[in-house]
Amino acid sequence: MLKNIVKFMVGCGAGFLASAALADQPAPGHVPRQKQQAQQAPVIDARSPPANRWWTPGEGTPLPPVIAYPNSFGQVGVLNDAGVIDTQDHPFFEPIGENGRACVSCHQPANAMSLSVEMIRQRWHETQGKDPIFAPIDGMNCPDLPPGDPKSHSLLLERGLFRIFLPWPPKAADGSSIDPEFTIEVVRDPTGCNLHPQYGLKSANPMVSVYRRPRVAANTKYFTHQGFGVFSFIGKNGLPATRDPETGLPSGMNILSDARQPTLKTQAVEAAVTHLQFNGKLDEERLTKIVSFESQVYTAQVSHTGAGSLMESDTPPGFGVLNLAKGREGLLGNNVTNFVFPMSEAWRNPAPSPDPEITRRNEMRASIARGHDVFMFRTFWIKDAMHLNTVGLGNPTKRTCSTCHGMHMMGMDIVNGWMDLGTTNLPWAREEPLNPWNERKPQMPLFKITCKANVPPHPFLGRVFYTQDPGRGLISGKCNDVGAIVMQQFRGLAARAPYFSNGSAGSLRELVDFYDRRFNIGYTDREREDLINFLSAL
Amino acid sequence: MRQVVTFAMLSWAASAMAAEPPATHRNFVACPIVRDTSTVPCWLAEYEGETYFLTIQTDVSAPVNPPWLGHKVLVEGTVSDEPRICGGIVLKPVALSVMQELDGSCNTMLPAEERYNLPFEPPRPPGPSKGRLAFGDPVTKPKSQEVAASKSFELRYEFDSLVMFRHAQPLQQIFEHARQSKATKVQITGYRAATLLSNGQLMQEDKEIGRRRAEQVADLLRGAGLTELRYDVKWQDETKRAKGVEDAARRRVQVVVSR
Repeated sequence: MLKNIVKFMVGCGAGFLASAALADQPAPGHVPRQKQQAQQAPVIDARSPPANRWWTPGEGTPLPPVIAYPNSFGQVGVLNDAGVIDTQDHPFFEPIGENGRACVSCHQPANAMSLSVEMIRQRWHETQGKDPIFAPIDGMNCPDLPPGDPKSHSLLLERGLFRIFLPWPPKAADGSSIDPEFTIEVVRDPTGCNLHPQYGLKSANPMVSVYRRPRVAANTKYFTHQGFGVFSFIGKNGLPATRDPETGLPSGMNILSDARQPTLKTQAVEAAVTHLQFNGKLDEERLTKIVSFESQVYTAQVSHTGAGSLMESDTPPGFGVLNLAKGREGLLGNNVTNFVFPMSEAWRNPAPSPDPEITRRNEMRASIARGHDVFMFRTFWIKDAMHLNTVGLGNPTKRTCSTCHGMHMMGMDIVNGWMDLGTTNLPWAREEPLNPWNERKPQMPLFKITCKANVPPHPFLGRVFYTQDPGRGLISGKCNDVGAIVMQQFRGLAARAPYFSNGSAGSLRELVDFYDRRFNIGYTDREREDLINFLSAL
Repeated sequence: MRQVVTFAMLSWAASAMAAEPPATHRNFVACPIVRDTSTVPCWLAEYEGETYFLTIQTDVSAPVNPPWLGHKVLVEGTVSDEPRICGGIVLKPVALSVMQELDGSCNTMLPAEERYNLPFEPPRPPGPSKGRLAFGDPVTKPKSQEVAASKSFELRYEFDSLVMFRHAQPLQQIFEHARQSKATKVQITGYRAATLLSNGQLMQEDKEIGRRRAEQVADLLRGAGLTELRYDVKWQDETKRAKGVEDAARRRVQVVVSR
């Protein structure tokens, strides 16, 4: 008996020692260099008064099981699978950092758990730029610009972009430096942040600033799946996948646009430090609550202006938030067995009706069904897309939208999803036309990338090329990852313009037009309209 | 860019002229050509006035994957007696290596012509497949069975290349086997090879490639979590074994996992 007590006490002592040692270790997902910058950046007096459609941090209103918000294509819905969410003291809804923001600040239910530029502008006017989303750390083009001046926040106000600051050279998960395969030079710095003595690439804490859209914090079971294509080695390049620090399991690497965090939990740890300027260590209870919330919340369009309700029993299985919540994750949908967004024959070939209103509705449904077919079956030549043409399909490859956007119910890549379509790399990235008659100046930074002599050149861009955002390359240090961005989900698109990681497509029309130009698709007017209608109903 | 091309040319020029490979073999470097068809495109290359069929458009799981426009391709194939496909003499088996340097002159896309439609149904159409993948899963977990105490694996490479997408599967198999067999050591041997071209020239890989291949595989296994194993990493030069037949098979890394 005594022996057992001693053993127990020794065990406890060892436990305490281990706990003490663990307390000194950085939490998985923690980013000490970014934290250093986040704590240096100023915090200004912020206020977030309640407003229509806006969730103010700490407002404490319960979030109902289903809630809908209007947008120009109908309504987007948010479904809580766990029922009513008590947001009082909930770490997703409470300001937990220094700048008054909560997770919900940039993941608003009315914007499909992201944040539209239209909402950002509305918030600017409602608060005269005092809402915490305009915090200098990342809601400004660079933290030391004059607060309250729209020019200081131009990328947020015009393109919905927040500053993401990442250490250079890249850091591995254990904090060690990665020797990059390329050098990076700042050739254009309109925000002043990449050449800034305190925040820039040459500062004592070297950091690259890029500007990206908030991603959708919902439907997470789909893009954190452990199904098709998630293995210890990345199917696109054979390199080791990131792993969940708790389970050791490989992650799908589809959470952030550069796949830098492996789990929702580590992402929450990082976001608290970088976006909320939280100066501490998020406790397990709060992290669990954030992850639980994100794991049960779904968002999708729930009604369409032309096609009607997307919450009915006869709604095609690929549409509406109810179908989304009960769908199966981890499935490849680029086939005619699962489909990416399953359609229904009733929408494709609706029964004739004498009622003109129903006829109009049916015409829109038929257009959406045709748009689905454009997405699934309309072939075009996909050329020079890194991590697509290089993974066994050949360059070019005659395929369809669903080749890349193959994740069932999501339209993301089912496997580790970074790819370079040219949204940030020149010559395809959106650039301001320079001529004597245009007074607008380029908004985005521009970096010159030089792949070192001991590695192969980028397969499609060569040894020297230019980018607005090196994307995955800032994390992996790989030359061929520069400009590769993890694709985003297709849900709630109508509620959260602009699109692409750098907000370069202001509307669904501009999004479709980018692909049309990039891949010389040659959509007809009808194909384009059908495709836009399809996307607007997701 | 110019410097690299010059270096590559010098490397070729410096290589010894050797005996020609057998007449049934075609080993050459050329621009690939893609021809559209009413289904999937087919890939061709020209050598000494003749057109050769390399492969149709495939997916990630296929044993032979199409080359890339914008790059030359090293073709190592055997002339088969199958009827021509897309107008080209069928090389089968064939190994294709995309040359790493960009070559803007490799840009030929030919339109579909009725006479060049494929005489067979391709394993997968140009759009969605009928099931999951046409040729098999890109990465599969090994079935549970008696785990051998020692097992050998082989990774094959394109010319001058390191690990790429198609190595995810064999690396996963090595990883799974090491875990299941409770392996304690792994022996990794990287090989540098050469290919004897049909014009008699010997095309040798980068001098360091054998070492780089071996070290990379060790790094990747460690990076995936196999940190407890004892690694024995070595490399070997097999450029002298090139004879124009199955030279591609010598560009490899051998991995022996044992308890």
